[in-house]
Amino acid sequence: DIDDVGHKYYLELELEDVLDKDRPVTCTAEVLYPLGSKASAADVQVTVQGELRSTEEADKEFYDRIRSLEKELVAENIPDSHGKVPPELEPIHLLAWAASGYVIWQNSTENTHFHLAQVQHVKQVKRSDEDLQFDFVLLLHEMVSQEVLPWELSVLWQPGRGARVCRCQGPGAGS
Amino acid sequence: MWALLVLIGAASVSAHLQELSFDGQKVFRVLPQNDEQVEILNFLASIMEVDFWQPDSVTLVRPKMQVDFRVEADKSFEVEDLLKESGMEYQVLIDNLQAAMDAQFDSKARTASHSYEKYNNWDTIAAWTADIAARNPDLVSRSVIGETYEGRPMYLLKMGKSGPNKKAIFMDCGFHAREWISPAFCQWFVKEAVETYGKDSVMTKLLDKLDFYVLPVVNIDGYVYTWTNDRMWRKTRSKNAGSICIGTDPNRNMDAGWCTLGASKSPCAPTYCGSAPESEKETKALADFIREHLSTIKGYLTIHSYSQLLLFPYSYTYDLPANYEELNSIAKAASKELASLHNTKYTYGPGANTIYPAAGGSDDWVYDQGIKYAFTFELRDTGRHGFLLPESQIKPTCEETLLAVKYIANYVLEHLY
Repeated sequence: DIDDVGHKYYLELELEDVLDKDRPVTCTAEVLYPLGSKASAADVQVTVQGELRSTEEADKEFYDRIRSLEKELVAENIPDSHGKVPPELEPIHLLAWAASGYVIWQNSTENTHFHLAQVQHVKQVKRSDEDLQFDFVLLLHEMVSQEVLPWELSVLWQPGRGARVCRCQGPGAGS
Repeated sequence: MWALLVLIGAASVSAHLQELSFDGQKVFRVLPQNDEQVEILNFLASIMEVDFWQPDSVTLVRPKMQVDFRVEADKSFEVEDLLKESGMEYQVLIDNLQAAMDAQFDSKARTASHSYEKYNNWDTIAAWTADIAARNPDLVSRSVIGETYEGRPMYLLKMGKSGPNKKAIFMDCGFHAREWISPAFCQWFVKEAVETYGKDSVMTKLLDKLDFYVLPVVNIDGYVYTWTNDRMWRKTRSKNAGSICIGTDPNRNMDAGWCTLGASKSPCAPTYCGSAPESEKETKALADFIREHLSTIKGYLTIHSYSQLLLFPYSYTYDLPANYEELNSIAKAASKELASLHNTKYTYGPGANTIYPAAGGSDDWVYDQGIKYAFTFELRDTGRHGFLLPESQIKPTCEETLLAVKYIANYVLEHLY
């Protein structure tokens, strides 16, 4: 407890790459949840001890594939009702997963527990620069209230640069 | 001469036409032990129409042979009396042939075919309940415990070898519509019971000594809605007075600390507790059944997803139940059994501390009624797929969960009260 500021948590974490399960990476983090009803994202400092694997080849393949599409990519319900993801949409699913991390971070408190439930909709937006842009509608499930709510956000990405959220809209703010 | 033949022909045609409905006709299975009993069957075949299913004809019947035969509806009582008097071992294989045939045609014609490794829609599940009961009459019987808000029959399967004074375990699935892996597990359990009875010693003992009441889907209307309109729906589909919002959370609707914690008074909320305890037809039907069978039900399991948790009372308070130590050690052992198959880690403990405080839950209500072994399962996974668990995970999830359920059932059997 930090008086007049909030609650600070010191964490030791193990990061598991779902696509590379046998090599977990240790991290440490400090998370400060601010006091007060004003909705404000937790302050997070992370240190990754160890190396994350390189995805250079797969990134390039995906990038080239999307750039060469005649029509902008549009897709819905990833995974579908039965839990299936078509293989060519798997990278979009993973990108959505990363993007959901941003929304979850922005909206989490000590009393919420969010997960990405489904990608309701994704639309590629053509750009003149090097970035790929995807506009998502993500369904987030919050465990305590049991709400499943749609969050809109746009993500920019290109190989070698992390995913960046460029606009964020959604119902209400905070918990 | 020709006129006579035509008349006889017409008579036999009309006789056959009357036979087109099999309503009320019974199929018996008998085991004649000796020549005397074989003779009784011969006698039967001489005084009425008996359609032998196996063997093909009464002349092939021998002692110790399993014999199946069909008789007309109006003769079935006579036949049963005769078999009883003779002391011959018999059972009614099919109680109403027309019903059994209808069920078979239902599952093929109107619906997609049933699979234990796929998610089945409600029509398919409903047809399956009829089919599984018709095909395993000595182990499974189906009844209706009530109707949903939208008028659908709530089917209950009673599993177990019939016997006197048997105690029972009650298990339900599908409280929350979007938790599709839950009804899949109830179907899997029933399949395992009928397929491994007589082969697996634990399952055989459990079905011999206990009855299992299995309610494959509690919230049928909600489940249908997740197939037709909104995959993420949770609640029932009942209208709420004075609100455009639909549905009540059935697992906040039971009379256990009702609506005090962890539930919402707003009809628009996913955890809406309802207008009153048991306001929902579905929860009322469940509660009524349990109240009516309170003296025989000794264990209760309710299956949900997701989070990989094994919970026990209480969730409506942080207070611990009287037999906390016992419940905790059962949960610990059951979780270990579950993990032994695919290394799936479960967390266990009392609901309020382990997941969140939530009043109106079925496990708490059942526990306070005196059923001291009450558990809630939250099945796979922990959030990667959440409600959208891929069909490829149905089998491993069900297999591991079955180990835990068998452990708990066996414990209850060995600690009857």
